[in-house]
This record gives sequence, structure tokens and C-alpha cells, in this order.
Amino acid sequence: MAESNTSVSCSSDNFYSELLSPSELFAARSRSHKIPARGQKEFLPDGSARQRERLQQSLEEHWSLISEERVERLGALVKGEWIPSKNVVVLKSPAGKFWQTMGFSEHGKQLLLPEEALYLMECGSVQVFLHDLPLSIQEGYEMFLSKDTVNLQQYQVRHAAERRECRGALPLRLVPHKAAVSSLKVFSHLKRLGYVVSRFDRSTVPSHYERQLNLPPERDGHGRQLKRKRSRSPSSQLPDGQGGVAGESLEMRGGETKSQRANPEDGAAGLSEPEAERMVEDVPVPSGVPERRWWVEGGADLPQSPTRPRHRGWVWETITLPDLGAHRCQPALAAPDPSLLPGRLSVGVCAMEPWLRRLNLRPERLSRRERERERSRYRRDVNDDREVRHCRSWAEYHELRRRRRNRHGRRNRPEHLWEGKVTPLLQPGQHTTAGDVLDKIGVVGASRLLDGAAGLEDSEGWKISFDVFQPDTVAEFKKSSPGKPYSRLCVCSFEGPVPDLRVLKQLAFQSGDVPVTFAVVDHGDISFYCFKDFQLPTDTSH
Amino acid sequence: MAAAGRGDAGADPASNPGTVAVCFCESTPLLWRAGDVRTARQTGVVGTLMGSLARQPRQNCRLGRPLELLREEARLLADAGRAVLLSSSRPKSTGAANPELVKQHQEQMDQSYSEQSQLAQQDKKAVLLRVMADKKQGSNQSDQALQERLLALDHGFTFPRTAMAVQLSTARAGMSYGPEELRFLAADSLSPRDERQEARYRVFRDLRRRGFYLTTGGKFGGDYLVYPGDPLRFHAHFIAICLPMDEALSLCDLLALSRLGANVKKTVLLCSPGAEPEEVLYTSLQWSGMV
Repeated sequence: MAESNTSVSCSSDNFYSELLSPSELFAARSRSHKIPARGQKEFLPDGSARQRERLQQSLEEHWSLISEERVERLGALVKGEWIPSKNVVVLKSPAGKFWQTMGFSEHGKQLLLPEEALYLMECGSVQVFLHDLPLSIQEGYEMFLSKDTVNLQQYQVRHAAERRECRGALPLRLVPHKAAVSSLKVFSHLKRLGYVVSRFDRSTVPSHYERQLNLPPERDGHGRQLKRKRSRSPSSQLPDGQGGVAGESLEMRGGETKSQRANPEDGAAGLSEPEAERMVEDVPVPSGVPERRWWVEGGADLPQSPTRPRHRGWVWETITLPDLGAHRCQPALAAPDPSLLPGRLSVGVCAMEPWLRRLNLRPERLSRRERERERSRYRRDVNDDREVRHCRSWAEYHELRRRRRNRHGRRNRPEHLWEGKVTPLLQPGQHTTAGDVLDKIGVVGASRLLDGAAGLEDSEGWKISFDVFQPDTVAEFKKSSPGKPYSRLCVCSFEGPVPDLRVLKQLAFQSGDVPVTFAVVDHGDISFYCFKDFQLPTDTSH
Repeated sequence: MAAAGRGDAGADPASNPGTVAVCFCESTPLLWRAGDVRTARQTGVVGTLMGSLARQPRQNCRLGRPLELLREEARLLADAGRAVLLSSSRPKSTGAANPELVKQHQEQMDQSYSEQSQLAQQDKKAVLLRVMADKKQGSNQSDQALQERLLALDHGFTFPRTAMAVQLSTARAGMSYGPEELRFLAADSLSPRDERQEARYRVFRDLRRRGFYLTTGGKFGGDYLVYPGDPLRFHAHFIAICLPMDEALSLCDLLALSRLGANVKKTVLLCSPGAEPEEVLYTSLQWSGMV
């Protein structure tokens, strides 16, 4: 059995020396891989020799287990190199089986994140070098998790910031460094159990609307789909005059082009539309006018996490859909950007005439009743009413209202019931189920976890760190399309505060429809808690 | 390589075998060397293992080095003069390869390779000889075949480089680039930040002096778990909760604690440091019915 603590290294400081000699290394091939089972514990120490002996035995076994060093065949090790400036490990030899669930590619190279590299070093699959010398696990911990490096938290925060800059939003809050060791503990714990754990990336959480649309998953450039060219998403400056219309016109959410209703029916704004159109389609953009493209191009400076596929490229705010039925529509639509078209297809300017002819542009002729309804539907100033103007006092006004009410046949609302301070709850025939009635008399409404969560700003110190996928999905797991995670983790400790409702709502909103689990770390014990939404049952027979 | 610390770090671990090197990883005290873990346990400091076990890394029942210490444990060791506190900053990213060290490492690898290939050859020969000895009564042809194989082994044995065994060190092996600065921290970097931490330390020290072993009690809702003997062989008897003397405890909390203790069959111990410097007061809770 190979033992350590024998040879002293030949370097000047024999401060750390647990090196194995070559004969020990060779003999390590025949080491057992089984862990002896621990026996039953005893209750009370009684100073007997038997107990002492058992204790000694357990201790010896314990020491032999933890002092064992990792010995691997050189051919089975994947060689990696630590890049301090980017805080990743570059693999110099081809990755092994772990590549299916860990690591990412960039510029043709295979890279590992620091926590993944540490876990693989501990498993004995990867040997990491720095400037051609191998790193020990201790050095790995100290370098990959040190305060000076951009650790787990900052890495995410920085990339989240770059992503958010394009959308022009929230202020940034850096999270204190202390939690890197806890995050590593949680990561290793789950990886050892077989889960697939990856870093949480906010940009890959589909919004509620996207989930409703139920879009098919995008393929990432394999196969027959034409490769769309991707560009940097537009910055937030716009030439003057375009700002208002363009900004409003691009709300795709809600599924309707509310944009065009925002265009008043005077000419000025209507004219800005064709310009907005031209803006979108202009291929050679002159310098000074920012590009506005609603597809996002990839490139070295794509501000998204490198570990995620680049398929969330739609920038919804910049899509315009022209309203052809509007009062003043442009005579022609500009030609589409040739970079969007397959092959050598070229499409010219689209004339609107034939299309408009197919639309029904006849003015609507409403019957009198419909006109009245239209008129009464929109809010009118009460003073416009001629009869009201004739009233000279409040009493006359009340009388007028009573007369109108009676005239309009509201006889099923008797005055003695409906005119007092206390009015009936329901009209007969209005609500027919017990559930409806209970809703009306309810004092406290039901509230769900995600109510009011959309507008919350990020809480200090609370953030989702990891996505966790179940172990039985490992066989079909694909890094390019991992699918919906089993849960998302937020790492905290027993010494910190318990998450309050605000934090819960904010994290649940960030996570979309995946439940959030809190991994509470306490010096080696990790407990997992999650908060579930709960509805009180209502007692109706329907 | 490793820079010298301040002069008063006379407890150099290399020279004094009774001291341990506590390395801080981002304010968490860790012990990396197996010898240190053993020494610490002999002084009663148990700690928690948090790395993967070398023999079977993909399980969570038994973990391996590094050993994580509580702040109180590290402070106890430092106060007793048994520990050297180290904190390293990472080497500069613009550092270049040191050709001398690389050459040294290469030489070590080459030497290891040649020794291992010799050992492999000897091992194979021994196997063949044993087979031959077993087959002493066998026919002549097989004997001849074995002799031929032995000869072939002497001449044409190859041991591929990829079959060489290589060690992946756990603790710093002294081979790679040492950190720019290996700082020796003063013991008072571990001093308590507030009253509660001070209470915890005093309770820890007192219980330790009485011969109990202590580990974290987070999963039982307390500060420490108190064992009458080594945690490897005995169950915990108490859940210790440290409170400053004048801190008020609400009845709900007391009830929760005693319920918890009753359910896990451990006694809850409320501990408070007293007015005297070495005095700690203990109150145990027991849930009993009305008689």
C-alpha cells in the first residue's frame, strides 16, 4: 500500500513534501479502490482497552485513507493549462468523457471553468499546468478561488452587465467574494452525486411571453438552416426624431403592433415610419448613425456567456411591423437586407398598390345604433351633455339622472335597494356559482409567489448561482441545448439572514418556471431548502 | 519561491514537527497535509473534511483533504503556538516560465520513468519465473516457450511513456511556482469580530479543556456538537448553543430548542461566558412531563 510522507523534495523549502517515490508510484497500481465500512458508534467512553483498540483501528484506517495521494497513468490524464487572465483552463489534449457535461468551446479550443477544473483535478482526470509546471490541488484552490481573481460571482456579474448594457437597464451590484468556497462546496457535492451542474445564465431564461409562444428550440447552425449573420445588438442612441416612434413602435410583447396606434393620424409621425423602415434595412450604415438590426450577430465580442449557445438573438425592441391599413401608408416597402436572404436571391422594393387593393379600405358605415354605441363607449366629458348644462342645481341634476335611469329601463334595480349606503352584493342572475360569490365576499385575495415580482431590483447578496440537471439525464444531455433544469440553486450560509419575501419573489421571477432551491452551507454540511407556492383550498362544491 | 515571513514566525513547520500550517483560502482556514490533520486531531481539533477522497472521488460519504477548520479551532491552535497561519496571494499573471524549475521537473519525470520501466520489466520477469516454477512438472515445450519469452523480455521490453504513473499532489508539492508572497498572519487576525464570536470562542476553549471533542452543530440547530470522545467512535451527547450572558432568549426559541433536543435524543446546552476570564456557565434543557 503506497504511503506518503516519506521522501523530501529536493527544492530548497521542504515545507511541503508528500511526494511519492517512483517505486511507490509503481506499486500504487495495485491499490484497492474500496472504502472500508465504518462500524457502529458507541455511546459512552468507559476507558476500556477494547474501546481504545477499536478507536486506534478506526483512526489508523482514517489516516491511511486521507493520506493516500492520487496516482494516475500519464496516458489517462488530460493535460490542461491555467490562464490567469481569463480564469479558465485550456485543455491541451482532447477531453475525455467529462466533456459531455462540462466545459465549453471557444475559438476552437476546449475550455473549463475553474470550479469544473478543480472537480476534475480531484477526480484525477485532468492535470493542470501553469507555465509548464503541474499544479497541486492546494494551488488550484488558492489560485482559482482567490480574492484577487474574478471568482464565480464576479464572472457572472460582469457578463450580466455586458448583456444588460445592450438593453440599457439596471444598475450593477457586486457581490462580496466570501462565497466562492461555499459555492465550490455545493458544486462538488452535487457533482459527486452525479448531477450535472452548470452556471446560471440569466439570458437563457425565457420570459413568460416566450414560454407562452412555445417556440421550437433553435438549432445552432447545424444542418440545413441557413446561417444567419449576427451583429452586435444596437446601442441605445438613435438619431433625433426617431427616438419616440421607434421606441414605441417596437413593443412586440402583447402580440399586437400597438406601435402603429401610437402614430397619431397627422402626417408628421406617419412620415417617420418609412424612415424607420429604411433605418432597419440599410446595409451600409454610415458612421455616426448606429446600426439597428433586430438580429444579433455573433463575434468575438458577443456579450453573452460563452458557455451558452447563442440562440437568444432577437432584440424585440427594434422590430417594426408596418401597418398597411393606416391612414397614410408609404407607397412602397424597402428591399430586405441581402444578408438575410439565402444564396443569391435578390428582392427588390415591394410595391404596396396590389396589396392595398386586396385590403378592404372602404370606410365603415355604421348604423345609428352602432354609432351611438361608439359614442357612448368612449369617455365623454359630462359637461358636453346639453341636458346637463341646462340643470341649474344639484337637485335638478339628480332628477335628470333619475329620469334617465328610469327611461333606460333599469327597473330591475329598485331604488330602495340600490340607492342607499349599503347595496346588495349581487344582482339575481349575475353570478351563479358558489365560487363567484365567495370571490365577491373575500377580504383577502389569493396571492401567488410571482405577483409583483417583475419590477423588483436585484437584492444585495442573493443570486442564483447554478442550474442543476438530474443524473438520469446525463446520457442524453447536450451542452448546446441542455433543456429545462431540474432546479436552480442559490448558495447561502447559516450565518447569513433567512431570505425574506422580497428575495424569494425576485429569485423566483429570475428563474422563470424552474423552482429555486437554497443550498445552505455550514462547514461541510449542506442542506437544501425550497419554498413552495401554496393555495388555501376553497370550499365550493363546484 | 516561498518568501520568508516575519521574523517571529519561528515555528517553522519544517523544523518543528508539532506545528501545523493553516492555509487560508479566502478567509477559510484549511489544513492540507495529512501530517497536519493528524497532529491537529491529537490536540483535539477535529475539523471537517471537504475535498474528494483520492481513492473514490465520486461519493459523498467519506471525503478527503483539505480539512476545514472552524475559526475557533484555528484560533485555539494559534494561541497554543501549534499553528502557523499562512495566506498566499496568487502569482502574477504576467509571470513567465522559470526554465530552471521546468528542467528540474522534467528530470524528475525522466528519472521516474526510467525507474518505473525497470520495475515493470522486473515485475514481468517475476511473473514469468513464477509461472515456470509452477509448471516445473510440465512438458518441455511450454518450458521452452517460457524461456523464449524471458529472453525476449530482456531484449525487447518496452514501457510506453503513457503507462507511467504520475502523482497529482494534494498539498503544495514545492514543485511549481510558489505564490508571490507567502504571508505569515498574526494570530489576532482571527480575533472575534463581535460579542457572539467571542462567546463562541470562550465556550469552545472551555469545553476543549474539559476533554470534549467539538464539531459544527449547524444541522442540529446549534453552534457545536459535543462528543465525550473521538467523533469517529462516539455519538454526540450535547448540542451547545453559545449566548452572551445578558442576551435575552424568547420562550419560543427555548421551546424550539428543547423540542429539537428531545427529538434527536441529545441534551441542549446553553453556554455563556461568565464574568471571570476563564468562567463559562452551562445550563442544560430537558423536556419533561408533569409528574
